[in-house]
Amino acid sequence: MLRPAPRGRRQRGRGRQTAAAYALLAPSLVGVLGFLLAPVVIVLVLSLFDWKLLATPEFVGLANYQKLFADSDVWHSLLVTLYYVAICVPGTTILSLLLALLVDRKLRGMKYFRALLVIPWMATPVALGLVWSWIFDPGRGALNQFLGVFGIDGPAWLSSPVLAMPSVAAVHIWQFAGYNMLFFLAGLQNIPASLREASSLDGASPVAHFFTITLPLLRPTMLFVLITNVIGSFQAFDTIFVMTEGGPGDSTEVTTYLIYEEAFKKFDFGYASTISVLLFAVVLVATITQFVYFERRTTYEVSG
Amino acid sequence: MKLKIFPYAVLVAGCVFAIFPYFLTLLTAFKGPGQLSETMPWEPGLPPSTAAFDRLFASGFGGYLLNTALVTAGITLGQVVFAVLAAYAFARLSFPGRDALFWVYLSTLMVPPVVTMIPLYLMMQKLGLVDTWAGLMLPTMLGTPYAIFLLRQFFRSIPADLEDAARIDGAGRVRTLISIVLPLSKPILVTVTTLAVVANWNSFLWPLIITSSEDKRLLSVGIALFKGEVGVDYNAVMAGSLIALVPLLVLFVVFQRFIVRSVAVTGLK
Repeated sequence: MLRPAPRGRRQRGRGRQTAAAYALLAPSLVGVLGFLLAPVVIVLVLSLFDWKLLATPEFVGLANYQKLFADSDVWHSLLVTLYYVAICVPGTTILSLLLALLVDRKLRGMKYFRALLVIPWMATPVALGLVWSWIFDPGRGALNQFLGVFGIDGPAWLSSPVLAMPSVAAVHIWQFAGYNMLFFLAGLQNIPASLREASSLDGASPVAHFFTITLPLLRPTMLFVLITNVIGSFQAFDTIFVMTEGGPGDSTEVTTYLIYEEAFKKFDFGYASTISVLLFAVVLVATITQFVYFERRTTYEVSG
Repeated sequence: MKLKIFPYAVLVAGCVFAIFPYFLTLLTAFKGPGQLSETMPWEPGLPPSTAAFDRLFASGFGGYLLNTALVTAGITLGQVVFAVLAAYAFARLSFPGRDALFWVYLSTLMVPPVVTMIPLYLMMQKLGLVDTWAGLMLPTMLGTPYAIFLLRQFFRSIPADLEDAARIDGAGRVRTLISIVLPLSKPILVTVTTLAVVANWNSFLWPLIITSSEDKRLLSVGIALFKGEVGVDYNAVMAGSLIALVPLLVLFVVFQRFIVRSVAVTGLK
């Protein structure tokens, strides 16, 4: 007689907990499922349609994908994006790690230095892009005037097909190095001080200490910084929009910009969706690859 | 002594490099009409002028600023409140589908915003929300996976005993969340809020696409369009950039210590 009661109560308790949980989750379910996940599904469906502004959508199967594979503009934009990622990710990661090592000391006024280094991250990218376009201006820009002091005749940074991309990427690195420094700093401060003492007692040089102790222990932070930066640089749009508009020629025409142009300038929603699917697939593969690589390395560490 | 001068020298050089664009912005924004807007560097000795700000505000920038402040406040409030609720459910309640759902949330972090742009635009069109405040704010204010993730990590680090004690004393879930969990979560709340404010204040692509009328224009779009409309009035653009930065700067200076500390405790070990 007594046994069913607690079970019933427990069951009722679980049911109540489930109801409470979903009540708490409701707004974010609408947001995440409705405005983040559903659009991904919709974009997949749209990629199968021929849909230009005001025209009726027409199902065309994989025709957009056939067009995509033959479209040199798309592949060019993907290469441009990869080039951008290839400059930004190592650049930001290495610089932010060096900065973190620099500010991970007890010096007077250090908190002010840390704060100043993070400031670039807060800049409105559009405003920032304009300031930097002006710094890069060939005739009267700050950079070439500075180079002029040393008798160097600076190039036209943003109107050179070769230099435009590295210049835009430099702005990205400048903007995010200080922000990512915070994560490395946190990682460094979680490393017990006793390890440093031990390795210096063993006579290890600071450089050896860094590569054998510090860097392996920073691996989780490294994974986080790499993944967020890869995802972030694949999405670059704002600074490119104001600095180069994809030019000169198509030298900074990243895939995000191409999608924007196809969708909101040419109003070709179907094809723009197809390019979106490609970009999403590439970001997905890049992210999963990093996860798998780091997971394997970490597991190896633990078992070996 | 020598050893101490070197890091300071590098630090100062790094900081100068970090802030010199703002320094240039500041100098250009206050240049007078007598000084050619394009000349650089500025000419020392000439009095600062607010003419660029006058031109900026004459072209409606004050409205953009107000819009941005209100929209940022609204979206951020929604993001933080809803993220707290979701994170608490994920951290403390057990319910069917919890882990799968959490992975779904996390996986959406990988979706580039430009990918969702077209479907979102079409959804807003269907709902009749193109060029409305709701259309501008709704897609981002309900669920922010990164904030939910950060908050969940933090909530899980709070000893459950504290909450059990409160519950034994008769406090409900919501009461426990408000009076026990949230006060202990101040650093992460400040961090999540700051990240949200910076992202919302600076957001560009969605406002550019979803709004067209000038009375709903935001600051970032205003600055970008200002470039084209006025044939690059650099002084005014710099004045606008300066105004865009100042609120974020104040926010960061006030909350800096929270942000650095909470980055250290949020599951990045």
